[in-house]
Amino acid sequence: MISMTLYKREMKGSVKLLVIFGAVIILYVSIIISMYDPEMMKMLDSFVDAMPELMAAVGMKANAADLLGFMVSYLYGFILLVFPMLFCILRGNALIAKYVDKGSMTALVAAPVKRRTIALTQLSVLLSGILLLVFYITILEYICAGSGFPGELDLSALLSLNFGLLCLHLFIGGICFLSSCIFSDTKYSIAAGAGIPALMYVLQMLANVGGNAEKIKYCTFFTLFDPDGIIVGESNAAAGAFLLFAGAVVLYGIGIMIFDKKDLYI
Amino acid sequence: MKEVFMNAIQIENLIRDYGGGKGVFDVSFHVDHGEAFGFLGPNGAGKTTTIRHLMGFIRPQSGKCTIDGIDCWSGRDKVQARLGYIPGEISFFDDISGTEFLKFLEEYRRIGTCSRKAELLERFELDPTGRIKKMSKGTKQKLGIVAAFMHDPDILILDEPTSGLDPLMQSRFVNLVAEEKEHGKTILMSSHMFEEVERTCDRIGIIRKGRMIAVDSAAALHERHTRSYTVTLENETAAEAFAADFDGVRSGIRVTVAAKQSLEEIFMNYYGGDKNDQHDII
Repeated sequence: MISMTLYKREMKGSVKLLVIFGAVIILYVSIIISMYDPEMMKMLDSFVDAMPELMAAVGMKANAADLLGFMVSYLYGFILLVFPMLFCILRGNALIAKYVDKGSMTALVAAPVKRRTIALTQLSVLLSGILLLVFYITILEYICAGSGFPGELDLSALLSLNFGLLCLHLFIGGICFLSSCIFSDTKYSIAAGAGIPALMYVLQMLANVGGNAEKIKYCTFFTLFDPDGIIVGESNAAAGAFLLFAGAVVLYGIGIMIFDKKDLYI
Repeated sequence: MKEVFMNAIQIENLIRDYGGGKGVFDVSFHVDHGEAFGFLGPNGAGKTTTIRHLMGFIRPQSGKCTIDGIDCWSGRDKVQARLGYIPGEISFFDDISGTEFLKFLEEYRRIGTCSRKAELLERFELDPTGRIKKMSKGTKQKLGIVAAFMHDPDILILDEPTSGLDPLMQSRFVNLVAEEKEHGKTILMSSHMFEEVERTCDRIGIIRKGRMIAVDSAAALHERHTRSYTVTLENETAAEAFAADFDGVRSGIRVTVAAKQSLEEIFMNYYGGDKNDQHDII
């Protein structure tokens, strides 16, 4: 159902980005996990006391109970959301819209390969990248936590947390892929593929501040990813992750259908 | 063998209206098996739009395009298996080298060992090792030619295939097309190079403002536009010299010379006939 030749070519195209984001993530994850220390926590908590809105906006809350709670507070509010999101935006746009915009899609469609196969292949490349990133994050966290604080990390909770993270990024990838399939112009594909997730993230930041702004959380899909809920096994949090996953599948389906039917002026 | 009786390429009442008089309107023509068809028209006349329909890139607003009886839109992947295509504007993956690109296409199309790549590279003196991004227009065009012919397709759709080629390479290309025709390939070639269409095509269709204004054999188009004059000269020596100078046929002191309009002039006749349309020619 997918073209292995194209898949290999595109995965090569993903490598550079994956390495860059991998390096950035290793930096943050190792530093933040090594900062886990009851004394340091007090200091961070004092930041939260001093400027609660700012810290809350980037998802950092006081009194993270244990190592995982600490990681949720300081990694899952910004770093692990934004970097994989950037990957989705950049690759999502490059996989379809850029080819159509530049006209090199000709080489792909002027061959006995179904358009659905092309779209599905490009989608698999995007999904492989997301999977690799989340897998890498999980291993990294496990190693960093295991070496710095043996026995402190609840592995099964970490796995469900990162499964939720995966669902969130699959959904973001769906938005980027769909906009790449809809628009034949990189300009618009980027505008929608980057604009929608970025706007949603900003709304999430506003909602985090709390107060009246909290109602904004109903306007952003980031609310469906509830790290605190997932690690304590709340069923609402699981439902949110499932919704993200289901939404992602729908977005992929629509994207492939649109690409299959659209007119290509190449 | 029912395919044999079917037209290789068939376009019926194709309409695609882009608005503002742009597009193609009620275009119909066909190309027989083993025939070379020249598709002439100025820029913006609708040649590329017609070809995009044949390639299954865009769906007809109304009308139908078929290749060997298979619909070009709904059966495009089946059609593509037998098609070779040179796009009007070559734009390949510019992040890789020509060698890598051709290798990619061989694998992507699953050509296997029957590839004519080596032979074609040699014929067009193309060194594909450089990055596509850095290639000149002519080199990219050569790469496009190799990419279109290397899987030995039955049907060739060539959109202004010689643009950017030097005269030597143009003539090599014309020879290649002639050879392919001898091998029974069906060829649709769009061009504004009258010379190459004249040399290679059996029939010629002329499109203007999205409408076909003439479809006829190249010979008939010539015939229609040939004028002959018979000149009587003073003596046989003068007649002989005259015949030699003007490529005429002498009988006694009378010499008949034919003024063949070139296809270009024929083309201009169709295009320049209407004074209100003068701006179209430019």
